Amino acid sequence: MQSFLAARLAAAILALAATGTAAQQQVTILTSFPKELTSAYKAAFERANPGMRVEILNKGTSAGVAYLRETRAGDRPDVFWASAPDAFEVLAKDGLLAKFDPAVKGIPDKIGNYPVNDPQGFYRGQALAGYGLMWNTRYLAANKVPAPKEWADLVKPVYFGHLATSSPSRSGTTHLTIETILQAEGWEKGWSQVLQIAGNAVAITERSFGVPDGVSNGQFGIGLVIDFFGLAAKNSGFPVEFAYPSQTAIVPANIALVNGAKNADLGRRFIQFSLSPAGQELLLDPKISRLPVLPETYRKAPAGYPDPYGGKIRAKVNFDSELSESRYFVVSALFDHAITFRHKELVAATRVIHEAAVKLAAKPNAQGQRLLTEARALAFTPVVDETKTRDKGFLALFRETKRDAARQKQMTALEEHWGKQARQNYDKAAALARQAAAAAK
Amino acid sequence: MTTGTGAPVRVEARGVTLAFGASTVLRDIHVRIEPGEFFALLGPSGCGKSTLLRLIAGFNRAQRGGIFLDGVDISAVPPWERNVGMVFQSYALWPHMSVAENVAFGLEERRLPRQRVRARVAEVLELVGLAEFGGRRPGQLSGGQQQRVALARTLAIEPRVLLLDEPLSNLDARLRHHMRRELLAMQRKLGITTIFVTHDQEEAMTTADRIAVMDQGVVQQVGSALELYDAPASRFVAEFVGTINLVPAGDPLFAALVAEPGGATHAAFRPHSVLLAQRPGDPAHHWMPARVAEREFLGEFIRYRLEAAGRELIADLPHALGSAGFAQGAGASLGIDRTQVRLLGA
Amino acid sequence: MSAPLAAPGAVAPLNAEAGRWSAGQAAVALAIAAFLLAFLIWPVLTVIRVAVTEPDGSLTLSHFGSFFQLSLMRESFANSLYVAGMTVVLATLIAVPLAYITVRFRFRGAILIQTLGVLPLIMPAFMGAAAMQLLFGRSGSVNQLLGQWFGFTLPIMEGLKGVIFVETLHYFPFILLNLSAALANIDSAMEESAQNLGASGWRLFRRIVFPLALPGYVAGASLVFIKVFDDLGTPLVLNVTNMLAPQAYLRVTSIGIEDPIGYVICFILVGFSIAAMAGSAAFLRGRDFATLQRGAAAAPRRDLRPWQAVLAYGWIVGVLLLVLSPHLGILMLSLSKVWSFTLVPEIWTLDNYSVVFRDSTRMITNTFLYCGLAALLDVVIGTAIAYLVLRTRVPGRQWLDHMATVALAMPGVVLGIGYLRTFRDTEIPFTGEALLGSWLIFVLAYTVRRLPYALRSCNAALQQVHLSLEEAAQNLGASRARAIWRVVVPLMAGGILAGFVTSFITAAVEISETILLTSRESLAPMSYGIYLYMQSIAGRGPGAALGVVAIVMVALGTYLSHRFVAARHAQQFMKGQRP
Repeated sequence: MQSFLAARLAAAILALAATGTAAQQQVTILTSFPKELTSAYKAAFERANPGMRVEILNKGTSAGVAYLRETRAGDRPDVFWASAPDAFEVLAKDGLLAKFDPAVKGIPDKIGNYPVNDPQGFYRGQALAGYGLMWNTRYLAANKVPAPKEWADLVKPVYFGHLATSSPSRSGTTHLTIETILQAEGWEKGWSQVLQIAGNAVAITERSFGVPDGVSNGQFGIGLVIDFFGLAAKNSGFPVEFAYPSQTAIVPANIALVNGAKNADLGRRFIQFSLSPAGQELLLDPKISRLPVLPETYRKAPAGYPDPYGGKIRAKVNFDSELSESRYFVVSALFDHAITFRHKELVAATRVIHEAAVKLAAKPNAQGQRLLTEARALAFTPVVDETKTRDKGFLALFRETKRDAARQKQMTALEEHWGKQARQNYDKAAALARQAAAAAK
Repeated sequence: MTTGTGAPVRVEARGVTLAFGASTVLRDIHVRIEPGEFFALLGPSGCGKSTLLRLIAGFNRAQRGGIFLDGVDISAVPPWERNVGMVFQSYALWPHMSVAENVAFGLEERRLPRQRVRARVAEVLELVGLAEFGGRRPGQLSGGQQQRVALARTLAIEPRVLLLDEPLSNLDARLRHHMRRELLAMQRKLGITTIFVTHDQEEAMTTADRIAVMDQGVVQQVGSALELYDAPASRFVAEFVGTINLVPAGDPLFAALVAEPGGATHAAFRPHSVLLAQRPGDPAHHWMPARVAEREFLGEFIRYRLEAAGRELIADLPHALGSAGFAQGAGASLGIDRTQVRLLGA
Repeated sequence: MSAPLAAPGAVAPLNAEAGRWSAGQAAVALAIAAFLLAFLIWPVLTVIRVAVTEPDGSLTLSHFGSFFQLSLMRESFANSLYVAGMTVVLATLIAVPLAYITVRFRFRGAILIQTLGVLPLIMPAFMGAAAMQLLFGRSGSVNQLLGQWFGFTLPIMEGLKGVIFVETLHYFPFILLNLSAALANIDSAMEESAQNLGASGWRLFRRIVFPLALPGYVAGASLVFIKVFDDLGTPLVLNVTNMLAPQAYLRVTSIGIEDPIGYVICFILVGFSIAAMAGSAAFLRGRDFATLQRGAAAAPRRDLRPWQAVLAYGWIVGVLLLVLSPHLGILMLSLSKVWSFTLVPEIWTLDNYSVVFRDSTRMITNTFLYCGLAALLDVVIGTAIAYLVLRTRVPGRQWLDHMATVALAMPGVVLGIGYLRTFRDTEIPFTGEALLGSWLIFVLAYTVRRLPYALRSCNAALQQVHLSLEEAAQNLGASRARAIWRVVVPLMAGGILAGFVTSFITAAVEISETILLTSRESLAPMSYGIYLYMQSIAGRGPGAALGVVAIVMVALGTYLSHRFVAARHAQQFMKGQRP
């Protein structure tokens, strides 16, 4: 009896193992995109190419990068498809992407000032993504908070405790939003705005999806999100709205052929399909709600669908992607050490600053006003000034991907300095603001 | 809390019936144990004697009837308020406590001042001869020492009744004899009503003032060792207490031994009421031929298993210096002392 | 010779009989060591060696210096310690009464409670926390009610206390499982003698029952402590980053940078976990716990008095409501189309289930195959290690324990990358299939990753089985191996089952490694599917539905195994009742 069971089990196991080795005509897509999007492409591609199968490998962006790095050439998936441009940069640098020109007509070279395709030809824009504001209408109504229009609105005291954002180190699009603000307002003023927004935020989420998720279920009132998250949630029936502020960045989400792919030919075919009119139209599905990179697709879009090419979304900023790239790791690290890891202290300082402002408005007091201005300056000034970000040696320190002991020591000292300085600033700002409030009595 | 009320108490089970699911373990038990008595519950395993003991301690609950101490029903009193001390068969010494801590436990539960606890622990450990062992762990003691600790732990609280569950069964033979006498001496000294459970009839007979013989959840007979031995009330008691020859009514031998059978079912006589000789002797005995099937030399006497009148009979004959007795397979005359034959009822 | 109670050194392997070790034992120890080296230590080392090397490959300890220089790290360390410690305290408050009441009293639904109590483990951290947010979050149902009726809200899901709250509800079953097994193994006479001497209620528990069940409690509590100390899922979902594990994770997964500090943290997590395990072992060493002497004649269940019953039921129902609230949240989520800022979902639907059953049945069978095999391997290896450590003197046996513990503190992503790196070119013997492309890789990864759970349970169970029981079997002619198989293992059954259940359940919800190791969707287990669904707003419903399916199935398995063990116990109890 026992041996019979064992034999059955073994047979079942073998059968299970065998099923994996079928289907040669298979293209494997490594992606971080949600199931709605990938399933639509899988179905459409298989319909258009009978006999071919699409295997979707869904991994988070960083897991996807690690997976590609650790898989031997010849076994790798064929296509890498994700948002964050930095992931593509890293892969290209590691020789894990293959140059490929799908020769699709009608896709412009630039969106605003930002190149749609990798100038070196390793990856191509497949859809466009703009950062914007998403809010839960019920939440705002219940908390009597007005809907925001601009990034600058978010620094207002009324939004204190109602915002959420991700961190640039965790989300490439968040990085672009921060960078957009920095470029639009300048380094000092930009950081001041970012710090004030972060001070009003209730959470700095670890995953970029955490923001739209929290806004959808009502945990947060307002979130800084990529457009399709907001639009898809709205189209799925959630009580949310989405709007682009006037200064926003529109950037491509990318697709690339993997170097050392198992079925490179099929991979090319899939990329071509994804850029073709048929492939682009899939993006208009309400549950997907992404912005096609092919302008003509918008003619088929439902009324009111945002069109980055049609002038409805104004990208006022002349986005300098080289500048962005040169200080990428500085901005990310600074954000984390001054904001993400010190969020509690920043929020505490912001709270008392708001409170003091209210008291001073009721009972104006020069001394108090002076203290408050000082507190604001302390809390909302970046711990790194702009000149430093032009220092080549300083930037090189951050760009080093493998750190030896000496560099690591320098980095550690910097991180320690930033974190400590930020904390001191916030604590001191809170103390000053308390004095300011006391002066108003 | 009562610690040492002094006067020994009377323990009674009145009409106790207890069942575990479908199986009835105790049936209508009536036992009365007098104050200061050393009382044994004797029976084969599974007879219900331990269950009855646990009932007195409060670990089981009777479906009918109750346990009375000095006439007061304690059935509803939880075990921890009964002040009925029990020594467990496995001793149940707590391995995470030292000997002294084990002994102090019950006193601490009674919220005695620390001073008195210490004094009392020293006192009882002295009593059981383990004054030096207070700091040891139970695991570091021999079986006999553990037994004394268990006893000391129970005596420390000066219980109204002392219950002993097979207290000597885990000890080797010599230690068992020694502990038996010690236990008895201690009980006499303390005057505490003591009930102990055993399956060993010798143990029960040598120590107990009175014994209740139990079988299948029923008390078969209560009496002193002498009464049980000489006047067993049933075939079960007769067979369980000591060794006995039984001759059923209807057997020709039965008729030969018994003049007025009445309603008796068996004639019974002890092995030492049987004589063995080369030829028939004393006419007060009933004589018949026999053959020695087996013999066991037991020191004080020799036990013969004999074939006579188509059945097996046992005879114990005193051993005298230099006498070889009867050899195995030898023929002999067998005489039964008619005066020693008892009749058994149902 | 009769030695009824714990002979000296029954627990510690100091006794003369255990002083020897045989070639067979050494072979088993070597085989386990080889397995752990190949599938745990080596893959992990290939990744975290960055912490101790320069880019050119030379050794350095300088990165450790850097670690201690950062005040953020010191703060994170303190936060992690605080959260882990508080979680143990709160989990104890929940688990100990649950275990005691259900094991020791005649209690309607005891098995049901034991089963329900395990449910929190069957919840991937991000899903559980998501559900908790819906109920207890800033705008969760509870706070909406509080806000409407009383005008205040409870910030119970914020910051470190949020982490403590969620971790407590998530991990208290470790204590419940291990303590229940330990309680069931205490000889009834141990408790009855204490009652006989006047102890009852709380004092009986505190002075006798709990000390005797200490190995089980310590096993559970140390697991909770280390698990929480090393957990990154919950803090990340609650957006708490000032703790060690999230710091390690954020640094290890930052794209494009190999940050040695991240791997230094891994080393420190491992070191601390091993130290905590060794500490709890040292704490138990030299104490005598072997309370099971007469076979498994567990204490008969006692009756609760009416007022006690009312209290106990009321309290348990309250705790269970709290503990099961994430499941309730998930259930509602799975039945909802839209749930946003309302007490309960506003649009109900069954569609999510049809989606799941259409798309994901394969994932369900995969989960059972992988996790079942992994948990089986875990209890086999766990029992072997426990036996080698506690009952033999094979040199270096403690290292098996320590090696297995490494997995506990290792972020799944590290082991995952290590596997990809190490087994890149490995093929399965005979079939020639690539190991990484086969489902075996999941079984191996889960086995290694969840071994510490099974090991803790097996250890605790073995500590309670008196050596004399094994010796008796040997004395009757059973070889050492046969004695283990026929006597020791059956007596450990409760603990082994607890180990199996925890291994299985925790493997079933393992995410980070799973995502890395999935090379084809057809190979993916359920946890991958749940993760995938949960990546989009519209996918939350189906994700929750798949979660409910997982919960129901694992709960059913747990319930049945409890029934099985309970039935066996009942038999033994009946036999042991009439001496």
